[in-house]
Amino acid sequence: MVNPVSRREFLNLLAATGGIAAALRAGTALNLLPGSASAASLDLLNLGSNQRKIAILGGGISGLTAAYELSKQGYDCTVLEASHRCGGRVLTLRHGDLIDEIGNRQYCEFDDEPHMYFNAGAARIPSTHRNLLAYCKELNVELEVFINENKTSFVQDDNMLGGRPIRNIDYTTNMRGFMAELMAKAMNCDELDAPFTEPEAETLLSMIRSFGDLNENDLYSGSFRAGYAEGGFLKHGVQKDMIAFRDLLKSRLGRQMMGANEGDTGPILMQPAGGMDQIIRGFLKHVGEQVKYRAMVTSVKVTDKGVNVAYDQDGVRHSLEVDYCFNCIPTHLMVGIDHNFPSDYVTAMKYVRRGEAYKAAFQAKHRFWEDLDIYGGISWSNTKSRQLWYPSHGIHKAKGVVLGAYDYGGGMYHTMMNQEERIEAHLADHEKIHPNFRELVEKPVTIGWHRMNHMLGCSARWSRNFGRGWTHEEETLYHKLQAPVNGRHYFIGDQISMHSAWQESAVMSAQWALSHMDAQVRAELV
Amino acid sequence: MLSFVPPDARYKIWGLANRILLALAICQLIPFTSAAAEREPYDDRYCTTCHGTDGRGNEGIEAPRLAGMEDWYLRRQLENFRAGIRGYHPMDTAGIAMRPMAKLTDDSIADIVAWVGSWDYQPAEITIEGDVQSGELLYGVCATCHGMDAKGNAAMGAPALAGQNDWYLVTQLNNFVAGYRGRHEDDRYGQQMAAMVGTLTDESATRDVVVYINSLETR
Repeated sequence: MVNPVSRREFLNLLAATGGIAAALRAGTALNLLPGSASAASLDLLNLGSNQRKIAILGGGISGLTAAYELSKQGYDCTVLEASHRCGGRVLTLRHGDLIDEIGNRQYCEFDDEPHMYFNAGAARIPSTHRNLLAYCKELNVELEVFINENKTSFVQDDNMLGGRPIRNIDYTTNMRGFMAELMAKAMNCDELDAPFTEPEAETLLSMIRSFGDLNENDLYSGSFRAGYAEGGFLKHGVQKDMIAFRDLLKSRLGRQMMGANEGDTGPILMQPAGGMDQIIRGFLKHVGEQVKYRAMVTSVKVTDKGVNVAYDQDGVRHSLEVDYCFNCIPTHLMVGIDHNFPSDYVTAMKYVRRGEAYKAAFQAKHRFWEDLDIYGGISWSNTKSRQLWYPSHGIHKAKGVVLGAYDYGGGMYHTMMNQEERIEAHLADHEKIHPNFRELVEKPVTIGWHRMNHMLGCSARWSRNFGRGWTHEEETLYHKLQAPVNGRHYFIGDQISMHSAWQESAVMSAQWALSHMDAQVRAELV
Repeated sequence: MLSFVPPDARYKIWGLANRILLALAICQLIPFTSAAAEREPYDDRYCTTCHGTDGRGNEGIEAPRLAGMEDWYLRRQLENFRAGIRGYHPMDTAGIAMRPMAKLTDDSIADIVAWVGSWDYQPAEITIEGDVQSGELLYGVCATCHGMDAKGNAAMGAPALAGQNDWYLVTQLNNFVAGYRGRHEDDRYGQQMAAMVGTLTDESATRDVVVYINSLETR
């Protein structure tokens, strides 16, 4: 006979196996709980009449954070940017923009209108990314809400319902109903009920009923939550037919559908009005004069007194002697640039893998999604294109730009294709959701981050056992690379964070390095 | 479509159409075509992004050194990548990565070859260890084409080996042995090389021969 689990044991087990401990860890990792740094805590010493020269290698979000903060305190900064633009993976594409993907150069041909843009890299700002948001406020970057999950958008899977796309709301309402029915049955079973007092069990059961909209018999029999089959305003609404649980279980997309508002995308998400690069423009209003474009770093040599940097610009090799250097060149590219870094540092640089994210977008000839009651949000499919994003901005205007593919982890599938093959793949994929998609869109752009010039990769990948977290060795390598070389050279960027691919990580890595350097400068000057 | 209209009337229609177009353009109803002229220019000198400072190679992304590569060999390999003669095997991941980078015009290839030739040359860093004596014996076969000094032989189509990144030589020898390189029917020189690697019976033999090449004087 199995001994009944006591209430305390059960609750302890619950916390240990999933709930509280995991939630606390996740909360800290996602910065939901108070973090160690915030914009307000960055308190750098003003140099006054003292002088210090700074080289910043790369004009992405971390480099510009460094340039902005140091310039405010009287440092003499030079930003060396290898490409024709600042921003790195903060890339907003508009009419006429060059997409510098090696082997697949394109110009963006979207209509020349303020709302006709595509955030090809960073696209969402969670409300918990307080350091980035502090800069948005300080730099007068206007923000608007980004619609991530939309119940009227679609989910489509060839394995489910013969491939017929259904609305997110139909999927989630029915799935919740069936899950609640299962949970209610479990609660009505004496053994599982045993750990709870009667009031606890009653509260839990009422929540389960509410979660799935169960009927008085604790059964799911469809719900008005999915909207009406007809009527609902001038006539009583008619409930939609249920979708069989078995049919929903044919698809694995529940992972996206049921977890849409969790984790990084749990907080309210925002975007700058007019494109993500408004943040870059905000920084450049203050430090734009300090940026040298098409300036490719060729050598970084750390000395006792500072750092000597060499770079090529306009066919001429220049040199720059500075007191401190902040380097956000991707580590995999820095390996090929002359340096005198210690060997354990180089080992760490070589360890980091390159992210493979891929995105594509189309100009829509008209905002066909609005005709389908869709305003913003994401349709999910089990195609290789995976996602279809409807813009949150430009509502009711004539046209808009839709994201036609976003594969964060497995982007090489499309990256390996040529431009025509990529476009055809996305058109074919999205015809499964919008049957005339092919006729509705034009002027595609595709971005294989693995081949973008001067980056050759998306966000850094430290952990090689995805889903199981970092190994001790990986953490050691990470801390090695975060620490400065000889106190003079700092690697920065989201690559020097444990949560890459977010602007917040890039900002915080720069702030960490700035605080570290500031302590040294204070010691020198006191 | 205007063939039924008399020539002088055609001219008038054309003139009128142009005026309408101009008016529309001024009203910004159609975009100015001159916008294309303001577009960000680019050239194909992007090699050093991957191949590193002065083309000295980047082990981090398996990009070999271009500095010191003979112009004829560099041209031939770029053309091979462009034609899909090289980088065709699914296991040749670095070769596959190179293929789209080689979507170049003949003019661009000529420009790149000249540019590479202008780079400051420094010998490659030694990164591997092995038995140099064993390597010297194994190198005997190689010397037939690549020369006793491993400085290459243009007449034979065999490139210089001395001074190349040793990790790259190991990868390429392994690729030839495994059939990931040199099996394409149009890769004449690659086929010759694939036929010559039979003496490299295991990984230590490959490493030894590269260690011997490391011991030779670079250019």
